[in-house]
Amino acid sequence: MKRQPWWRLTPTAIALIATTGGARAQSPEEAATTAFRDDVHAAAGVTCASCHTGREGRYDPLPRTAIAPLCARCHSDAAYMRQFDPQVRVDQFLQYQTSAHGRRMAEGEPRVATCSDCHRAHGVRRVRDARSPVAPINVATTCARCHGDPARMTPFGRDAAPPADWSAGVHAAALVERGDTSAPTCSSCHGSHGATPPGVTSAANVCAQCHLREAELFRASPKKEIFDAIGEAECLVCHGNHRIEAPVDSGVGVQDGAVCAPCHDDAGDSGATIRSVREGLDRLSGAVATADAILTRAERAGMLVDAGRIALREAREHQVQSRVLVHAFAGTPFTEAATQGVAAARRAQDTGEAAMRDLQVRRRGLAVATLLVLAFLITLGFKIRRLPDFH
Amino acid sequence: MNGAVREWLDERVPLADLVGALRHKTVPHHRYSVWYYFGGVTLFLFGIQVGTGALLLLYYRPSAAEAYESVQFVVTRVPFGWLVRSIHAWSANLMVAGAFAHLFSVLFLHAYRRPRELTWVSGMLLLLLTLAFGFTGYLLPWNEVSFFATRVGTDIVATAPLVGDFLVRFMRGGADVTGATLTRLFGFHVAILPAIATALVAFHLLLVQRHGMSVPPSVEQRANGDPSAVRQMPFLPHFLLRDLFAWTAVLVVLAGLSTFYPWELGTKADPFAPAPAGIRPEWYFLWAFQTLKYVPPSVVGLNGEFVAAAAMGAGALGAVLLPFLLRGTPRARRAVVWVGLGVLGFMAVMTSLALTEGAP
Repeated sequence: MKRQPWWRLTPTAIALIATTGGARAQSPEEAATTAFRDDVHAAAGVTCASCHTGREGRYDPLPRTAIAPLCARCHSDAAYMRQFDPQVRVDQFLQYQTSAHGRRMAEGEPRVATCSDCHRAHGVRRVRDARSPVAPINVATTCARCHGDPARMTPFGRDAAPPADWSAGVHAAALVERGDTSAPTCSSCHGSHGATPPGVTSAANVCAQCHLREAELFRASPKKEIFDAIGEAECLVCHGNHRIEAPVDSGVGVQDGAVCAPCHDDAGDSGATIRSVREGLDRLSGAVATADAILTRAERAGMLVDAGRIALREAREHQVQSRVLVHAFAGTPFTEAATQGVAAARRAQDTGEAAMRDLQVRRRGLAVATLLVLAFLITLGFKIRRLPDFH
Repeated sequence: MNGAVREWLDERVPLADLVGALRHKTVPHHRYSVWYYFGGVTLFLFGIQVGTGALLLLYYRPSAAEAYESVQFVVTRVPFGWLVRSIHAWSANLMVAGAFAHLFSVLFLHAYRRPRELTWVSGMLLLLLTLAFGFTGYLLPWNEVSFFATRVGTDIVATAPLVGDFLVRFMRGGADVTGATLTRLFGFHVAILPAIATALVAFHLLLVQRHGMSVPPSVEQRANGDPSAVRQMPFLPHFLLRDLFAWTAVLVVLAGLSTFYPWELGTKADPFAPAPAGIRPEWYFLWAFQTLKYVPPSVVGLNGEFVAAAAMGAGALGAVLLPFLLRGTPRARRAVVWVGLGVLGFMAVMTSLALTEGAP
């Protein structure tokens, strides 16, 4: 992989360098050498010969089925890895063997992913390095190279839509647009080295890693038993899987397009509960919007309404809480939170209205004072005109 | 009763002498007389600053932990606190504008000539003190904009060779803008600067009384070079009532601004937060702030900001010593007018550029 010294170049190569200013395309070996210079392995003293057979300048490429076992020689050896990082994990190959990728690779299918497809073969960087293809912000792009390509997925009977669906959801918005690295990407739900699609029964456990309160409420609700009996995947029924959009209050209801509508109608206790929850959500949203509008008007008029803003923040916290409590699928805890939210929003509104009244008092007071001062000015003007002529 | 009180007072205080002197005092009356009122207006606004500042002191707490909250308390909870704080802030700005108007009117009417050199020097020092009042008062609410603007403003001092580090530490009370800076600037704002300003105002007024109002050379020429031939207006009551008229009009403007455009408090300063976009000083420092943007980082081997700041300092020193640097020839006076117009135009252009750049 060593670059040829200039005196060994052929006349054709010298002519090519002369005409292109030396910017010729790199050979695969040269590209690998260049990439390896900035590789964590190179920094740790690993050389080309550590992985490849052959001689310097002409190393043999590795068969794809041999890559993961080769990496595992070091990465599964706790005693060896400990010298670089005492905390480092060494179970990646074990997990890989349980994954859909690893199982197919073991069956001799070379088109599925192996270590170098995600981490790169040369130029491997630590996961916490933002330039790594497996850094949280880059994981979806890396997975999408195969899982978003219909040509690669069709032979395996897989849909190539999930990466695009995920990109349109709230999780991608949080991770990619807001840079929130705690937001889930492909590996957060599917695993990384042990990547496999979660089954119907385990999907809720995956969501519950972050949405703990919603999961607790759901599991304590009568819905849990029903969903288990009919084999439905809990969260996914209402929220979907990859394309998870921001939940909206209008999703609660039995009208067309609402998430409850496929299973419920307006009749019976369930219909009444759905109606009452929706009314509570709408009432709270309306109260928050009204309070926000009047506080904004007061602020624009130069009034300080910090107490109102604090009350409005409290109302919004109750709003978040009541939206979570929808997952109890019952009236009581939800109604309590929504009522507290409406009360806080009313307090905020009262503060805004008081500020607007105060503003009116100020302006009326100023108008009266200005009239008095103007009257004084006019009198003064007359007095000045009536002064004896000093000429 | 009235007569008895007057008699009692006359016996103890020489009021009759004072009123008598004022009755005999006159003010030149000509086409430029209107410019005489700007000095009085500035003095009136200074009085308002002293009054409203004293009221704010009843509640203000000069520490990083409490300053913002105490101003917030004043404007939200204290009866008419919003009005007092807003008047204090607006009046400060009008006072700076009034002082500049007074300066340029005195300059263009050549009122700095003999024997009024010291009146001019004390007036110039009062203008610089007014700017110092503005700079020290700007940080006191401890809000985000004022915090970062003070950091930028004091950074400029740090560019001075040899003494820069000492000066900036003296102004900040440490290496960075902290609660110590706030306490220090508060001390300057409410004790040291007012003491100096009061003494200088008294001296300035004494000189104005001693020498009377200056008559512009062009008016003097029309009166065949005899200032006493210029028409005179009695100070009492003619000039005083006109002064009162101007003060009352300013009061109306001030009340309107304070009610319809209350001075914003902004968000509390967070020293650990990154500086927000659009940080800039008060409008009267904008021209200098904008000028510094155009100065290259290094000028003849020296820090560019320092060179610019030193040039402005030299300009200010030249302005203070103007009467001693000029010959009393018509040519020199014409040069003063052109230079003054140039400075005024430069300040106006730089300020408008800064405002345009900062506009969303």
